[in-house]
Amino acid sequence: MMDSALLLQAAADSTRAYGEFPVIGARAFVWITAEVHLMFAAFVLGVPMFAVVTEAIGIFGGDERYDRLSKEFTRLLLVAYSATAIWGAMLVFGLSTLYPRFWAYLTTIFAPSMWIYAGLFFVESFTLYLYYYGWDRWKKGRAKLGHWTLGILLNVWGTIVMFIANAWLTYMMSPPRDITPTTDPTTIKLWHAIANATWMPINVHRVIANVVFGGAIVGAYASYRFLAARTDEERAHYDWMGYVGNFIAMSALIVLPFAGYWLGREIYQYDQSMGITMMGGFMSWLWVIQAFLIAVLFLTGNYYLWIGMGRIPGAERFRPYTRYLLIVLVLGAIVWGTPHTMIADSKELAAMGGSHHPFLGALGVMSAKNTAVNLMILTTFLSFLLYRRANTRPVVPWARTGTIIQGAMFAVAAAVVLFYGIRGYFVEAIVRIGFSVYQVLAVLSCIVFVTVIDILMARGAQSLGAIRWGKMPPRSQYALFILAVTFTWLMGLMGFARSGIRQYWHVWQVMQDTSKYAATPALGYASKMISLCVLIFLSLVAFVFWLGGLAEKSTFVATGEGEKGAPHVGH
Amino acid sequence: MWATNAKIVGIVLGTLALYTLIANKIPQVQSEVPQALTLGANVTPEQLVAAGQKVYTGIGGCTTCHGLGERAPNLLTDEKGQGPIGARCGKREPEKTCKQYLYESLDNPTAYVVSGYQPIMPVMTKQLSPEQVWSVIAFLESQGGTVDVTGDDIAKSKPAAGAPTPGASPGFAGGSTDPKAIIQAAGCLACHKLDGQGQVIAPDLTHVGSRRNAESIRKKILDPASSVTKGYEKLAGIMPKTFGTMMSAAQLEALVQYLAAHK
Repeated sequence: MMDSALLLQAAADSTRAYGEFPVIGARAFVWITAEVHLMFAAFVLGVPMFAVVTEAIGIFGGDERYDRLSKEFTRLLLVAYSATAIWGAMLVFGLSTLYPRFWAYLTTIFAPSMWIYAGLFFVESFTLYLYYYGWDRWKKGRAKLGHWTLGILLNVWGTIVMFIANAWLTYMMSPPRDITPTTDPTTIKLWHAIANATWMPINVHRVIANVVFGGAIVGAYASYRFLAARTDEERAHYDWMGYVGNFIAMSALIVLPFAGYWLGREIYQYDQSMGITMMGGFMSWLWVIQAFLIAVLFLTGNYYLWIGMGRIPGAERFRPYTRYLLIVLVLGAIVWGTPHTMIADSKELAAMGGSHHPFLGALGVMSAKNTAVNLMILTTFLSFLLYRRANTRPVVPWARTGTIIQGAMFAVAAAVVLFYGIRGYFVEAIVRIGFSVYQVLAVLSCIVFVTVIDILMARGAQSLGAIRWGKMPPRSQYALFILAVTFTWLMGLMGFARSGIRQYWHVWQVMQDTSKYAATPALGYASKMISLCVLIFLSLVAFVFWLGGLAEKSTFVATGEGEKGAPHVGH
Repeated sequence: MWATNAKIVGIVLGTLALYTLIANKIPQVQSEVPQALTLGANVTPEQLVAAGQKVYTGIGGCTTCHGLGERAPNLLTDEKGQGPIGARCGKREPEKTCKQYLYESLDNPTAYVVSGYQPIMPVMTKQLSPEQVWSVIAFLESQGGTVDVTGDDIAKSKPAAGAPTPGASPGFAGGSTDPKAIIQAAGCLACHKLDGQGQVIAPDLTHVGSRRNAESIRKKILDPASSVTKGYEKLAGIMPKTFGTMMSAAQLEALVQYLAAHK
């Protein structure tokens, strides 16, 4: 063992540690390639998830429009896969030429997983080709079920590929504690390195985030096609598609904070100083920006729903409530965006009169923020519920009782959230942290039970008129674009947070970054890089969409059903 | 359609510009790589204060607790109407100057625990170099007081050539075999609770003797990964592995027997 360690050391000493990339520098090159690769990867992992779900709705619900929608999603994937692979290759070349010593260290530990990764990517690509090109061939009966199974396999391969890549990056964040700078990497067991403290939380967080991201990008695609549509029927189809994309994105977004909370908790438990750097150190302002972005997402998502109620007969009765929902959302966003612990110099602290602003300090603590975000989630869920019920009137005999129970569930959930939010001010931090679990459970329980009651109550419900799909003002479609841009930017920001908390370490407290780019840049520089990556990604996605339209006509088929041409998701 | 395309491009670029602008308008803080601090005999108070501020907000990790008013007293701002630390440090102990008080607070944090706070602060003179310790003191003095730290203070704190470096045995806890002094020097109470003092991050040690014998406690101190208390699996690996090399054999044994007696 000692011999191999010496050999490795000798090899490392004779290898240059860092290369340089012209004009933009090594760090910027790796940043851009990693980020754009990740955005495409999220797209090609997120879209198949609901392609397979919409295909299932088509198969088991007997509605072919869902099947065509699913195929249209999948068509977007073909070129996106190539783009993902190209950017991935650029990233690997960048790492191996610009950070050769670090890359050698990583490959020494993870080599077998990298071979499996490449093999699975190959299998995944060919599963996609079979899935797409076999669509019209395996259209009926058992063959269709076999085709659907291909879609499931596509998701399985993609998820495993992502889990493998996640192991590499989470090892950089949270290497097992028994690994030190002097540990010979050849002695590190592969599974020991993979199953590190943040691996599973990142896996779960990214699966959910990919669904959000895929939904948002598909929503943007649909909105573009809506704006470009020449007929009412085409407009109705893409209006419906945009609604589906937004519905999926917002539904998954509601769950995402819980996964993020788990990840943050694991980071704190792994290394408190890393957690403090993330939440209270030089990155503290990042969470204020994140709060602003989340506020934009909640407000824009709800705004889209409220505009959409204009095309639903019967929705008028719910319209007056939207102003109250708006008030809750705005107040929640303000509380969530209130700074708490941040680096300030003595003059700034003196100007504030303390480490917190005297008026707002109390709102910047986690008790207030958790309360705010949980109430925002409840409010958004209520928006969906009102939208869902807008053009129906339940006829089951227990409809009134059911509605009262639903209202009571909302009230109880909000009361639990408020109670623990207020109680959190009077207990120790270690107890306060546990309160957030009760708040989350109250909100999730409310969502699950209210939805079940609503589904049961909707059976045989009286229709107040068909949804006038396509009768949406253009501003609603621009809202979908804002959602897509914001989701993508948020992904870049959170990627910076996750990577940046390692600060000047390639591998936290194991391998130090000794390059000239070792210092972690401030948010201003990071935001320019993020915007650049988002711009590159969206430009390429626009190109992919254009190519998709060039190669094949839209799967939209005129049905002659006019305004009621698309179903109401959720009914 | 061109007008629609232009609107879409405008919305995308406008949204990106807005987020970039906001992120550039907030205070810009870059995380620097810690540099070794070298201060000569003729160092000026201004140089000391500047260096101390970096240590305080950076590698010293002081802002983790000081400044929130929850885990430890505020130092840079007013604390209970007494002003910032530079203004109040000279009044804390009757016979101590501000400089003496601050140094002892860093060298022996349990000596002056402010009422209402737990004795959780680690011994900073074991973690920081003399240059870093004295520059932090200068920085704290500058918060409402007068800086009187000089290059001589640093020189006097430096170990003589050949003497053991701070933190190395047998200087740990001043060589004391008093278990309470060892527990304080090792910073055990930053995570463990014992006899009503300390934190509840790691297992409570008040009755540790009832669940572990002396052999098990000794092994746990020397090799923290050897066993993990049920319910604390996620914290495995957090306890430092260096106690065995920091303590003398007599100190280790005194600590083990003391904890084993806590039944």
